[in-house]
Amino acid sequence: MPSNAPNSSRLQRLIAQLAPLLIVCAIVFALPVLLNNDFLLNKVARYLVLGILTVSLGLSWGFGGILNLGQAMSFGLGSYAMAMALKLKTVPVHTGASGLPDFMVWNNVQHLPWFWQPFRSLTFAIAAGLIVPALVAAALGWFMFRGRVTGVYVSIITLATMVVINLVIIDQQSYTGGFNGITDLAQLEIFGVAFDAYGRATYYLVACCVLLSLLVAFAFTKSKAGLIVQAIRDHESRVRYFGYDVALYQIFVFALSAAIAGLAGMLYTVVMEFASPTFLGVQLSLSVVVWCAVGGRQSLVGAFLGAVLVAGMQGALSESAAFLETWTLVMGALFVLVVLFLPKGLAGLAQVVLRWIVQRRQAAGRGVAQGVGQTEGST
Amino acid sequence: MDQFIEQIVTGLSIGSILLLVALGLSIIYGSMGIINLAHGEFVMLGAYAAWVFHTYLGLGLLASLIPIFLVVAAFGWVIERYVLSLLNNRPLDTILATWGVGIMLQQAVRLSVGSELRYVQLPPALSDSMDVFGIPVSSYRVFLFVVSIALFGATWLLMNRTPVGMKLRAIIQDRSVAASFGINAKRVYALTFAYGAGLAGLAGALVSPLKSVSPDMGTGYVVDAFMVVVLGGVQSLAGTVASAFILGELSGGIAFLQNDTVAKAIVLLAIVVLIRFRPEGLFTARVRA
Repeated sequence: MPSNAPNSSRLQRLIAQLAPLLIVCAIVFALPVLLNNDFLLNKVARYLVLGILTVSLGLSWGFGGILNLGQAMSFGLGSYAMAMALKLKTVPVHTGASGLPDFMVWNNVQHLPWFWQPFRSLTFAIAAGLIVPALVAAALGWFMFRGRVTGVYVSIITLATMVVINLVIIDQQSYTGGFNGITDLAQLEIFGVAFDAYGRATYYLVACCVLLSLLVAFAFTKSKAGLIVQAIRDHESRVRYFGYDVALYQIFVFALSAAIAGLAGMLYTVVMEFASPTFLGVQLSLSVVVWCAVGGRQSLVGAFLGAVLVAGMQGALSESAAFLETWTLVMGALFVLVVLFLPKGLAGLAQVVLRWIVQRRQAAGRGVAQGVGQTEGST
Repeated sequence: MDQFIEQIVTGLSIGSILLLVALGLSIIYGSMGIINLAHGEFVMLGAYAAWVFHTYLGLGLLASLIPIFLVVAAFGWVIERYVLSLLNNRPLDTILATWGVGIMLQQAVRLSVGSELRYVQLPPALSDSMDVFGIPVSSYRVFLFVVSIALFGATWLLMNRTPVGMKLRAIIQDRSVAASFGINAKRVYALTFAYGAGLAGLAGALVSPLKSVSPDMGTGYVVDAFMVVVLGGVQSLAGTVASAFILGELSGGIAFLQNDTVAKAIVLLAIVVLIRFRPEGLFTARVRA
């Protein structure tokens, strides 16, 4: 019986840590009940997807200390995997003779290239959308972390790699759709359920993925590997002296984060109904860093909310060009302020406020119990 | 043969522009360890300053170079003083902060001047062309080449032959020891950053007649310039010069053989590999520790 006590307090702590995550997910699932507008729902779904992408960056940056400025690379790869499969599912009218995608016909491609062939299977495409980004990230991670590249240089390498892939995709127009991306896609259909971008089904699909990716990321941060990754972030050489293979853990968190970003990319294609080179562009990649920093890089829920709120705000203001320009200016200023004064973002601020409230309560409680301290309580 | 020389000259021309932009970045990164993502916006400010001086004050480009340097340096000084000096112990966060500052500068220009393209006139004295090894080359490009080398010389003298430069080098070696000898590190840092920003402003003003001026013109430059600094090696001014011209010749040459996109991709890949195996750059000056 006494051995149960520490266990239950540990469970309590776990529940307390999970609570914000579950509350946010509950709100996400409840939203369609309140919001009876398919167009708005599609927009919200888009922000949720960007939220997943930001969580994936939070995992590698906030917990692993790896500032990946090329996070959109994994996102884009996932997005293209899904788009390729959906493109091949479109009716032949749109895809030219013998099921060749329309842009290939325009570019005088005669046969479907070999790397497009397996994407006739949706299962393969979904697996590829997760595994390809993870493998690319693992290879890149192996290249960097085995050579003990750290800090700023990791950021430069990830950014440069993403730019190279982006350039190649734009350059190889006949195989990738080039600058226009892949458009005119079929609807995603899994087990007979069609996912219309403006339908409820798609929204719930996104919501489920939000819950799933937040839970996976949370479980990782609480696992032994997750703790070691955080230890590496705080003091790399000390962990190395303990005999851990530092690079291996870094590669793992890097690849995991890429797989989650790939998932987000696939969903983005479903929600937006196209894939474009901008999905792995510098602009998006740096925006993700901003969202993550504003929300709180060391808090998964914080990063998620940061993306949804900031991107949502931007979307709401984009109706008017002048508003959007001013908003970007405000955003830049907000970002600088957050970097300077709130290194843990809004989530850090929330934590401080919460702790302050709890302390005040405790102080007040103690004051009442001892019959003194009314003055402290009232001030 | 003629084509070959033409190619070399094109490369030199690209290289001199790269050097102009990279010089300021190199000083700031080499001495303060700050990756200044707002550098491209300083270039942009310089170009806009040239346009403003020309359109509203009727000053020619050459006459307005010194005021432009001072104006952009003042921007740099303010930013160092009120933003970057608060981030002394968080080098990774300076990337984020300077990027945020860059966005603000870009938006401020967009809101105040508008996002239309602006054009700056070539100085009339330099608008003809001259013969270099039997190839006609625009005089302005020759002028840019000479200016970039001259600015490099001035910077080298400033770093190695003046009291401020000596103080800066002392701080680079050991900040706390330098401070205990009475060197005001904060002031020297602010001056260094201002100088680097001023150089970027000059670069922007000088390239403005060749390219159109727009609020986001700096973004492309900062990436290229950064690659120059990484390739040349931190804290090595001579390395910056060498790598600027190497990269200029390389991208000119590959672009001639393949196309611009391939050239860019190959240069980027080469730099990724270089960082992995020689993070200190190709031409590193040994700093006495």
